Amino acid sequence: MMLGLGDASILAAILGCLGVTLLCVIYGVLHWNCGAGSDDGKDGRP
Amino acid sequence: MTPETVGSGMNAVVLTALIVIYVLVIGYLGWRGWRRTRTGQDYLLAGRSVHPFVMAMSYGAAFISTSALVGFGGIAGQFGMGLMWLVFMNIAFGIFVAFIWFGRRTRAIGQALNAKTFPELIGKRFKSNGLKIFVALIIFVFIPLYSSVVLISGARFLQEVMMIKYAWALVIFVTVVAVYVIFGGLKGVMYVDAMMGSVMIGGMLLLLVLCYVRLGGVVDAHQALTDLAVLVPERLPAEYALGHRGWTVMPEFNSVWWWTLVSSLMLGVGIGALAQPQLAVRFMTVRSTRELNRAILIGSVFILGTAGSAYMVGALSNVFFYHTDKGIASGIRQLAIEAAGGNPDLIIPMFIREALPELVLYVFSLTMLSAAISTMSSLFHVTGSSIGHDLCRGISGMRRDSTLATRLGVFFGILVSVIFAMMLPPGMVARGTAIFFGVAAAAFLPAYVAALYWKRATRAGVWASVGVGVGVSLFGLIFLHRKESAGLGICQALFDRTELIAAHPWPYVDPFVYSLPLSILALVTVSLLTAPPPERHLKRCFGRHGRE
Repeated sequence: MMLGLGDASILAAILGCLGVTLLCVIYGVLHWNCGAGSDDGKDGRP
Repeated sequence: MTPETVGSGMNAVVLTALIVIYVLVIGYLGWRGWRRTRTGQDYLLAGRSVHPFVMAMSYGAAFISTSALVGFGGIAGQFGMGLMWLVFMNIAFGIFVAFIWFGRRTRAIGQALNAKTFPELIGKRFKSNGLKIFVALIIFVFIPLYSSVVLISGARFLQEVMMIKYAWALVIFVTVVAVYVIFGGLKGVMYVDAMMGSVMIGGMLLLLVLCYVRLGGVVDAHQALTDLAVLVPERLPAEYALGHRGWTVMPEFNSVWWWTLVSSLMLGVGIGALAQPQLAVRFMTVRSTRELNRAILIGSVFILGTAGSAYMVGALSNVFFYHTDKGIASGIRQLAIEAAGGNPDLIIPMFIREALPELVLYVFSLTMLSAAISTMSSLFHVTGSSIGHDLCRGISGMRRDSTLATRLGVFFGILVSVIFAMMLPPGMVARGTAIFFGVAAAAFLPAYVAALYWKRATRAGVWASVGVGVGVSLFGLIFLHRKESAGLGICQALFDRTELIAAHPWPYVDPFVYSLPLSILALVTVSLLTAPPPERHLKRCFGRHGRE
């Protein structure tokens, strides 16, 4: 099994952790300057 | 052991100096928080102007405590890497979903309603002082359980590393935290959290790297751990009976440990993080959505680096303990849980003490201290605000600044936590954390989601939801979930059995699995049967979007 692990579900967990972290990093970078301003309080939409 | 060394092998003078410097830094940051705390908004929400780095690190540090690093890390040492699914859930739900779908609206609606605490947010959103008081009461009753297990995990770490008595370790922790929380308020808490979060992620990443170096590299370490699976039936018969099949495989489907991992940890803690009052309040501390967007990046890396490292190291510690020639337990090769005398809470501290260079041990002492202190401070602060700002003001009708009442509430919450920490049995850390997360999720999550997104939700619906969430959770803990029902003994006393339903898998299904859906059902049903809230109030809460 890849990386010396015993089964695919553990590999999926580790890759899933890395993948969702990457998603958060990319999201943060792309939206780094979005949503500034005091009027933001009137629109809580993503 | 020379007179100059403590039992763990660390130099007493160096260790003392490090801790003194550390406490002085905490004191300085707490003093800065105190100096900048003038109003109730400063004390409760850090003035709604926190930097995104501080907010993200504070969120992460409050989220990841020694109960995660030591408690769950120890569980990973006992049962393996299946716990990495919890890390996935923590990042996916606790960071990504939480910040985007909960954080933005919490900040916006909290500001629109001038809510300073989570109970106040719920109370003002649904125009019910009684609801605010009820939510605050739930927080006041259950959070000391969680904070006490965090206290235990931190104290156990100190006990093991510094070889001091457990009671003294508790006193050290509580004193340090009490001072800066009581005087510094949330500003003090978050400044210290940011410092501690930095120590935590640096320390845990270093631990992971050193672990892999010590064990011969990533693939070799994993393979050595995989190869230990053949020992489980013979050496760990109790764990084998629970479904443990090795540290790099998932437990057997439908086994006791599979249900614990999936229902209590992945679902209960993973999704339960969305409804934690001490985390939700941090969304209200930033000025705009921009800060939340930036914090997503920081927070995700933090969770992966801290919790992810702890669970991997916990599992891999088996390779060290089994293959070491350091003479643990008279030279007999042992698995991690054996080396720890059956107490999973001791696995991580023992591994750090035995496997790593002395210099590194100092770093981890501070890392673990940071993890415990940062989470305890957030829990004490939210307990204090529940008692002082929500309960006392709510019941007495007092309108003026509640800072003094909140400070007294913090002191009282600390006292209760210490009493619990002295009384709870060993090995309770992971269990206590899961109980709190599950109860909070069932009680608060539907109401919280409704507060942010469902304009048709009514006050009566939320009352029903919170009541059902808490009630069913408690019923499950007392009468259905074996781990608690057997320990409490109430079911045994009334019905002469440890749980009402003995058929597998019900004694091992976390109450969260059924209490949350029932709570949602109560919310929806009662809301649809009662009059909708006034449109003017909805416009105030949601701005120009008003009714859907």
